[in-house]
Amino acid sequence: MDNPHHKTFDQALAAALSRGRSVAVTGFADRVVVAVRADRRRRIVIRWSSVATAAAACLVAILTLSAPSEEALNRQTLALVARDESAQFADLLGASADLSLLSPAVEKSSVAEVLNAPGS
Amino acid sequence: MSQEEPTLPDDEDDKRLMALVAEGDDDALRLLVHRHHARLVGYLRGEVGSQATAEELAMEVFIRLHRAAARWRPEAKLSTYLIHIAHNLVLNEWRRRGRKPTTALEFAAEPGDTTQQSARRVAELDEAFQRAIAQLPPEQRTAILMVVQQELPYEDIAEIMGVPVSSVKTWIHRARSRLRELLKDFYGNE
Repeated sequence: MDNPHHKTFDQALAAALSRGRSVAVTGFADRVVVAVRADRRRRIVIRWSSVATAAAACLVAILTLSAPSEEALNRQTLALVARDESAQFADLLGASADLSLLSPAVEKSSVAEVLNAPGS
Repeated sequence: MSQEEPTLPDDEDDKRLMALVAEGDDDALRLLVHRHHARLVGYLRGEVGSQATAEELAMEVFIRLHRAAARWRPEAKLSTYLIHIAHNLVLNEWRRRGRKPTTALEFAAEPGDTTQQSARRVAELDEAFQRAIAQLPPEQRTAILMVVQQELPYEDIAEIMGVPVSSVKTWIHRARSRLRELLKDFYGNE
């Protein structure tokens, strides 16, 4: 074997690098195929997840667009309020509060008696 | 791991195999890997200074090649295309590590017969070269590995590194000068 110290620098550089040029690894091709299959499965899952997300977004959009308009919702709300007896009672209480403000001399208890009187 | 020299891949066979890989043929992929992995691992080991990291990166190169198989156009040699992907992964690896790769190889001369001493000297010199190459700036190291180790033409190296050919020539010249300086104990002033 040649003494490497006797070679010129460029020859030695080429020789040193060419010795590491090719490094065959036993079983490497099989490892790559296993890794590629796993990558393929992972990408299929990601693709179907994206499809499912897009489908869900479309469903939400359809439900939102087919919902009643704002005007219709207002009408429904007013109708519900009109049927709400508790709201009517609140109106009466509001009226009693107004009376107490306008007529401070009238005692609140007497107003309550009037309201609670039969036929009121 | 073995140090066998595979036969040079034939471009036409590579094209045929890539078409099969694009159709999902795993046997074609296995054959393609078998033909190209040794040089790829050799290049990556020179770049990162670690066999394990080189194998990991080479694995990633082939996964990316598989993903791109359907879009691949045989404008360049497949071996050059693989080195191109590998170079991009090396750049990512350096960014991830936040530092340049270094090798920490230890060697010591041992007494023995003449043949063993000569073989030891070769190993010693190889390790000295590897350590010196690891100390080069990244662009110089990549350029010298591609031209001397992988025997790629300047034009291909320029395309892979995304720089003009003149830059590649400059880096190679500086790399040789720096290596001479680092290895002056072995070669003196030639």
